[in-house]
Amino acid sequence: MWTKKSNLICLAAALMAVSSCSRPASQESVRKMPPGDQFSGFLSTYANLKPNLEFENTVSFVSQDPVKNLHKYVAVIVEPPVVYLATDADGKNLPDRGRTALTEYFRHSIDEAIEDAFPVVQSSGPLVLRLRSAIIGVDVGPAIPVDQKEDGSLDRTINIGKVGVEIELVDSETGEQIAAVVDRQHLGEGAMVSSAMFSREEKFRAATEAFDGWGRRLRNWLDSAEELSKDDIARVEGTNFPYASENSPK
Amino acid sequence: MRITFLPAIGWLVAGALSAGEISSIRAYVDSDLCARLNLGPITASRIECSQSTIKEGSDPVLVNLHNNLVLTVNKQKMIRPLAGQLVEVSGEIKVKNGTAKLESVNAITADSVPHGDPARKLLDVRTYRTNHKAELHEKIRHELAMMPYISEFDFISFSQMGAEVVLSGWTVRATNRSTAYNVVKDIPGVETVINNIEILPLGSFDMQIRAAARVALQRFLSRYFWGNGSDIKIVVKNGQIILLGTVARKADSDLAFIQCNSVPGAFKVFNMLRVQSSQTKGA
Repeated sequence: MWTKKSNLICLAAALMAVSSCSRPASQESVRKMPPGDQFSGFLSTYANLKPNLEFENTVSFVSQDPVKNLHKYVAVIVEPPVVYLATDADGKNLPDRGRTALTEYFRHSIDEAIEDAFPVVQSSGPLVLRLRSAIIGVDVGPAIPVDQKEDGSLDRTINIGKVGVEIELVDSETGEQIAAVVDRQHLGEGAMVSSAMFSREEKFRAATEAFDGWGRRLRNWLDSAEELSKDDIARVEGTNFPYASENSPK
Repeated sequence: MRITFLPAIGWLVAGALSAGEISSIRAYVDSDLCARLNLGPITASRIECSQSTIKEGSDPVLVNLHNNLVLTVNKQKMIRPLAGQLVEVSGEIKVKNGTAKLESVNAITADSVPHGDPARKLLDVRTYRTNHKAELHEKIRHELAMMPYISEFDFISFSQMGAEVVLSGWTVRATNRSTAYNVVKDIPGVETVINNIEILPLGSFDMQIRAAARVALQRFLSRYFWGNGSDIKIVVKNGQIILLGTVARKADSDLAFIQCNSVPGAFKVFNMLRVQSSQTKGA
């Protein structure tokens, strides 16, 4: 039975939900690289990472658990990337619109690179992975003079020249790490972003190419992890998969 | 002068068709299940398959007699009563998407398709029996088998008639559809590839069924699940489970059927498992 009390409880719950949604994203998604540390601390664990000989400047992990490995999942939730500032960067100066532009573009690059192999879905469940990603080592440059500002200009330039990425795929229900990669390839060498609409402007092409490049490397790494093992090849060759229709030559 | 006009006319026709022009084709009314299992020419057993599976709940589709392309339709009611028959349909046909927006449907007889018409191809069993190249066939099979993203939830099949290959099946990943097409297209000796592989929707309801079916089958038939693959394929589409692949014994096929029938949310199980005793590689 609905009473005044239950109505008040509903109202309070709705207000809490609205307030949590409207909390500034920057506080949650901008973090700083810990001084002297090799890794940012973003991944749930770094214990299993090993140098990947196929990909330069990369350490990675792919679960070989027969029950829980990449092959056992068919879809992925892509979480919004998180930005980690370089150790000596001043977090207060990072333009919020710039951070949003970087994370949105990186997320777009990830989606583009993987979605035909790991369809992107919105809700967790069995067979679904959660992809968590972080852009590591973002630096903030000098203020942009007022007379040089255009539509979409940020207050300060963002430097991604020494950026790398940390990405992990976890089980969407349990949070268990299934695969992870730390890619320190500096694809953004010399790349700056000084507009919230950088992805549409030719002069920031180096930045978009860098993010697209990390997306492609992620896909290539997933492709290599999905390759059939020698045992799998032998097994497949021994079967009649994929079986041809009944009209095929006997 | 006339020659210079020809490309322009071709361009105009192509443009008109791609803009949703109404066109007419001759087709066979099949079930989604039988059409994607690629049962070849229209024989009595194929007609029986089409009619019985549509009756059991598989969606009716059209198979273009001209090129074997499977077309899903917007108005299934218009073709459902014509299961297993030949029809002439008109409507907006989108080859790239494999869809047809139907305007009219009329039943026709095989005799009304003239000899020499490309649409007779699917009606003639001889087309499928005399024109095989075994070496090419094995090459196609091998290339498809080596695709990395194939899971137990994907089923890819093919048929080959000389230099023409028809791919069919279901997949949960778009990359399998495009990769299959690309690897087969690049095989020397293959000239035409018709791609009837359907990309399955990934609704959470079907995902729950997939996961539960895999658990149920692995519990009792674990020997068919190995490394990163399986001999049993579990295709789930809109709450229906289609079991495909090969098992060693009839008892295993029955057990798989029983297990999948107990999966919560699954309202129909089609058991298309083959029993190995009569199987040979590539057959």
